[in-house]
Amino acid sequence: MATEQIDGQEDDGGVGRLLRERLTRHPAPAMLRAAVREALEPRAARQPWWMLWGAPAATAVATALVMLLWIAPSLPSAPGIDPAQLVVRAVLAEHARNIFWGESRSDVVPAALPRAMEESGVALNWVFTGDDDIRLVNAKPTYLEGRRGIELTYQDAEGHTITYVIVPGGTVVLPERGRVQIDRWKPVVRRENGFSLIMWRQQSLLCVMASDLVSDEDLGRFKEYFVKVRSSTEPYMVY
Amino acid sequence: MADDEFRQQALQHLDALHNLAVYLTRNGSEAEDLVQETYVRAMRFSHRFQPGTHLRAWLFQILRNTFLTFYRLRERESAISEDGVPEGEAPMFHDAPSRDTESAGAHMDLDRALTRLPEEFKTPLLLAEVEGLALEDVARIMDCPVGTVKSRIFRAKERLRGFLKDYQ
Repeated sequence: MATEQIDGQEDDGGVGRLLRERLTRHPAPAMLRAAVREALEPRAARQPWWMLWGAPAATAVATALVMLLWIAPSLPSAPGIDPAQLVVRAVLAEHARNIFWGESRSDVVPAALPRAMEESGVALNWVFTGDDDIRLVNAKPTYLEGRRGIELTYQDAEGHTITYVIVPGGTVVLPERGRVQIDRWKPVVRRENGFSLIMWRQQSLLCVMASDLVSDEDLGRFKEYFVKVRSSTEPYMVY
Repeated sequence: MADDEFRQQALQHLDALHNLAVYLTRNGSEAEDLVQETYVRAMRFSHRFQPGTHLRAWLFQILRNTFLTFYRLRERESAISEDGVPEGEAPMFHDAPSRDTESAGAHMDLDRALTRLPEEFKTPLLLAEVEGLALEDVARIMDCPVGTVKSRIFRAKERLRGFLKDYQ
């Protein structure tokens, strides 16, 4: 029992014993047990969704296609979408995925980095791996809007996730509007869909940092993180 | 380890995971969500589990990391008194075994006292004392050295003793 290992004593006023004997146990309710079993069941064993919804879905798709063919000629042509905005949206989607599904495995980052660099085509001469405030918790290759790049995930001491995506910049031009002087750089800073974004060009690369640090105070902290990352990370395109 | 075997073994720890989830989230439905999410992640990353190592500890680690990611912000938003102790939290007593009034009172006091501990103290205390995990496993779960775990458990017990005195 672990108690014996804690300074080899049980002179804790019986707290350990009290916990073991008196603390209410909360066994999993039957519904949770069933739900977990269901969730863990191999996919093949479950009835495929299309067996239930296949026919109605096919009908709906066919109807939609007919309607589209009928009204397409009268639709106004859409204006060109800003490529920077497309990347921003993709980064935000990626950031949301990170918050909900991302891993926090700082122990595997040293091994993950070389693979991420190799598969992304973006290498890092230097990379900021963290300090007392934030630390690098994941690195992986990514693919956004037809651009292969690298994605680094940081977490700060309070559990905020910061997603840092580096992709080939191509012809993307960052707007002058929204540029803010931070230390010796002047990136674009904006709030979008409940997240904060900092974007900048670095050599031929487009770099975007996203976080949920949106209040004025939090944004100040996000800018500090930007300075740390920006000054200690040197990405370049391998090919 | 085959998927089926992994699944069977992982399910054996459902009660323990749910128990910890309840004490972490202090909310029945959130605890259930947390446990489900833990299993989904465990299955997704089952290939990373090394057979021969401690599956129970690995699952606890996933549960804690998931909790920190999803629930901590919400926890911080709850009312915090000056000494950093959440106020107005109603401990959950469902599934409590039926005993005499005095014994039930002791359960309530202990549950309430435990609720007042910060997560950094509560988790190692529960894992080591209630779940019986080795300190090395607890350290791995908490992502800190064994010495830190010992110190946190010691301090958790000290605080718990103090809280329990408040209820006497």
